[in-house]
Amino acid sequence: MNLNVAGNVAGKSVVRRDLREKLTGEALYSADIKLPGMLHGQILRSPHPHADIIGIDTSAAERLPGVRAVLTPFDVPSSRLGPDLAILDTRVRFVGDEVAAVAADTLELARRALDLIRVDYRTLPHVLDPAEALKPEAVAIHQGGNLAGGEPLSLERGDVEEGFGRADLVLEEEFFIPTHSAAPLEARAALAAWDHSPDADLTLWKTSRGVHVDRAALATAFDLPVARVRVVGPHLGGGYGNKDESRLAAVAAELARRADRPVRIEYSREDEFIAGRVRHAAHFRLKAGFKSGGAVAALHATGILDTGAYLASGSGVARRAGQGILYLYHCPNVKYEARLVYTNRPVAGSYRALGAPQGHFALESLMDRAAEELRLDPLDFRLMNRVRPEGQPGQRTTPPDQVVDSQPLEGGIPFSSNGLEQCLELGADAFGWRKPSASPGSDPAVKRGRGMSMMVYRGGPGSPSSAEVRIERSGAIKLVTGLMDVGEGATTVLPQIAAEILGANYEQVETVFADTQRTPDAPITAGSTATFSTGTAVVQAAQELRQQLMELASSGLEVPVQELEAALGEIFVKNDPSRRMALADVAGRMEVESLTASATVVPGSTDAIVNSFGAHFVEVEVDTGTGRVRVVRYVAAHDSGRIINPRLALNQAEGAISQMLGFALSEELVTDAATGVTLNPGYLEHKSPTILDYPDIRVIFADVVDPVGPLGAKALGEVPSVGVAPAVANAIYDAVGVRLNRLPFTPDRVLSALAAQTDRDA
Amino acid sequence: MAEFEYVAAGSVDEAVALLGDGPTGALAVAGGTDLLPQIRDGIVSGDRLVDVAAISGMADIVESESGTTIGAAATIADIAAHPAVRRDYTVLAEASEGLATPQIRNVGTLGGNLNQRPRCWYYRNPLIPCLKKGGDRCYALAGTTKYLCVTGGDRCFIVHPSDLAVALTVLDARVEISGPGGQRDLPVSDFFAGPGRDVAKENVLGVGELVTGVRLPVLPGYSSVYLKVREREAGDFALVSVAAAVAIVKSQEGRAVISGPRVALGGVAPVPYRAIEVEEYLDGLELSEVDVSRAGGLTLPAATPLPQNGYKIPMAKDLVRRALDQLLAGLS
Repeated sequence: MNLNVAGNVAGKSVVRRDLREKLTGEALYSADIKLPGMLHGQILRSPHPHADIIGIDTSAAERLPGVRAVLTPFDVPSSRLGPDLAILDTRVRFVGDEVAAVAADTLELARRALDLIRVDYRTLPHVLDPAEALKPEAVAIHQGGNLAGGEPLSLERGDVEEGFGRADLVLEEEFFIPTHSAAPLEARAALAAWDHSPDADLTLWKTSRGVHVDRAALATAFDLPVARVRVVGPHLGGGYGNKDESRLAAVAAELARRADRPVRIEYSREDEFIAGRVRHAAHFRLKAGFKSGGAVAALHATGILDTGAYLASGSGVARRAGQGILYLYHCPNVKYEARLVYTNRPVAGSYRALGAPQGHFALESLMDRAAEELRLDPLDFRLMNRVRPEGQPGQRTTPPDQVVDSQPLEGGIPFSSNGLEQCLELGADAFGWRKPSASPGSDPAVKRGRGMSMMVYRGGPGSPSSAEVRIERSGAIKLVTGLMDVGEGATTVLPQIAAEILGANYEQVETVFADTQRTPDAPITAGSTATFSTGTAVVQAAQELRQQLMELASSGLEVPVQELEAALGEIFVKNDPSRRMALADVAGRMEVESLTASATVVPGSTDAIVNSFGAHFVEVEVDTGTGRVRVVRYVAAHDSGRIINPRLALNQAEGAISQMLGFALSEELVTDAATGVTLNPGYLEHKSPTILDYPDIRVIFADVVDPVGPLGAKALGEVPSVGVAPAVANAIYDAVGVRLNRLPFTPDRVLSALAAQTDRDA
Repeated sequence: MAEFEYVAAGSVDEAVALLGDGPTGALAVAGGTDLLPQIRDGIVSGDRLVDVAAISGMADIVESESGTTIGAAATIADIAAHPAVRRDYTVLAEASEGLATPQIRNVGTLGGNLNQRPRCWYYRNPLIPCLKKGGDRCYALAGTTKYLCVTGGDRCFIVHPSDLAVALTVLDARVEISGPGGQRDLPVSDFFAGPGRDVAKENVLGVGELVTGVRLPVLPGYSSVYLKVREREAGDFALVSVAAAVAIVKSQEGRAVISGPRVALGGVAPVPYRAIEVEEYLDGLELSEVDVSRAGGLTLPAATPLPQNGYKIPMAKDLVRRALDQLLAGLS
């Protein structure tokens, strides 16, 4: 694509489009929407981790005045929401699984009705540990057993056994990552109404990450033509890729159908933690072989990932967990094996960078140890072994005319751009990595240490994406895409791209997003693909419309098109800018009411891998008396191509790092082994950090313009979350000499590790 | 869905009467920050909430020659900001201002803080019929024991969550109580009671009784400090906390000597834990003779940790060392 970008709009920190609405409280979220006659729905959840429902007595609930509909697994439509998921099921698979639902005139009545439902359960043995679940004698949670998908993922490039055979140093360690929740401020909600609009039978407003994907799922569930279902995504209060479709909307819709009234269900805070989507707990065994000079000879990882009671994004998570292992270090021999396992625990789904933080924790912790054993500085070790712009060694197997997957296995394919070296150097400079550490504080019990990590992340190219750009004779410009802004800022960044190409002002571009009745098909907002993929469609559509406007201006100004330029709301003659026309005046020359240009693209490149990169540097204080780890300062350097909106990009990086400092230091969603009950479903006990826990975070963007990405942009949203935990782990090691292979690094873990170290030394 | 009657009491007598004659139980409430979530979750129930926050004088903090009296409805924020508390009872001011979050401190009260229920995850979970809720066993013992007590457990292994209780313990505070039988007061250390006495309760308050306030004696020559460790900097309960108070007197030789030292710990026992061995070591020592590491090492000599909470012992020892270090550094 390689456009010359004037940077009149792109590259500017325009104020995010929804800021005023959100700050003033005018923004409507899914649970804010009310319809006339609307009922309140509530869901009854299982108290057992694994049980069959023998019978349900709802008679008392149904007799309660004001209760309008009751739903049980015995009377829901038999269609499925996923291969392993019914609308409601007579088998429950985790504590919190949906059992029944009611709709009533008020929330209080609905809750009282839930208390009146009597359920007869036959309990089954349960299994919470994925390693136990894989044993042949383990109880099967789904037909086909507990290995989701039926077979492990196994990817190999080169020959690892041969690689280890030639290695001078072989290291092997295990890493344990627990479940944590994205803990979004907004809990999931859905409002369903039948026959609400003339052109749809069923309309839903819901917390969504992709209205078209939700629409398809609901159309299947209710055996309706896709066009007869409308899904609207209001403002979202924290997405993190997490708010996928589940039973919520289907249950609301079925209640609404039976009651013949609109029904809204909003999750409680506890529901959101337990029945939302958590990060996959993981266990990795990682083996790495090195030549005496420091080169990486072979890498072999085996992982077990816990999907919980149902599958949601699990295969993508398992695959992404291996990207760092397979691709971050230049290495001819790599192997990654992963098993995705059902357990009777809350459902794991996609949550900011899917499996990449888990995999990078193992990889970047072990590589830090390798650098030490090889007597190399961790930065020099990474500069030496990082994957180069030409990619991995080996032969391309992807057919030449096929778009390259953003996470290929084979070597022999270059990156479209690779700013990893720049990230390492810029970050190290800003951090002062090569300078001596600052002097520690006065308390001798408090030790300071520094650590780093690097990261690679797919993203960018996603599913086929569409956009429409329209100008009306009045001069009004509209950008129409089906995409859902999940909080990351697509409703700001995409019109910036459109305005840049059209030569419009940012403010001139209105947006229509996330409404299946008003927008073209769109993929989900996940995997850090929105700016890149939909952005590519926006560029294409805007260029086409620009051409048409230029032709109109050409006749108006009586100058050939190639002598014209467009910028900031005007089209003018390059050599004589005084000869100009406002875009609105150009539009006024149209013979039609409006001009629309639309584009559908398959994003990506047939020649190159589009990936984003980063390097993180952190300084911590470890209190050896209390075990508390305090992050003192943090520097993150990222290659996400050209940055379209620096302020939003900074927010994304700071947000990702902050969120994952919780993952590193305090957060864990704990399920009790004996009862299967999730014990800490709330902000207090899940220990999400507060503002007081955060360090000063400095974010630097490498000067990279990607030749494939729209205006040179690549992926960002998830990328900075990938390398946080290992950077902190490595800094703790530098401070006190203990390697923590189990997240999070809470005081009890630090003190236990220090005590074990003392025992070893004694 | 819990349903209950709400009555705002106009006087202590009225409150006591309202608390005493509810058919299935009445509960006193002020800020409600601990009680209401428990009612919502069905962990405690009552058919009547008696609001004591608006009782005249109940929120007052009053200085007199015999000390300072803090009403049960005084908010945590009021206590933290009060000049007499800040001047004479540093440990209480520090415990108050470091507690929970500003939102909680603005509505949470002294009475509510002392009467708050344990944070044990098993007690707080509506699905788990733990011993404290009338069940037949402690479910935590076979599960997550990380936050439980390392001493004083007896079938139930909670820690008392109150920061103020630990601070008040080293200030020799007395808890003032009104009830159907009239008024009484108790040393704060006698107010709290471990699970061995009554596993369903954390203190000796009887049916219909109400904490009306706390009386702090004048403590001439005392300095005090409160430290705590938690997993995040705000909105979190202590893993371990320590309150320490010492007076310095002149010996006959004119040297500065520690007198009446008091050290108490939170987060380690079902009640505020008095570190007697540390106190005995410190008592009568000249300032220059104090080895704070040794003092810290005397903390919790007979602790019996559970599988996941052994870390609390070195943490407590270190925190006592630090508290004394900080306290004595300010005196020498």
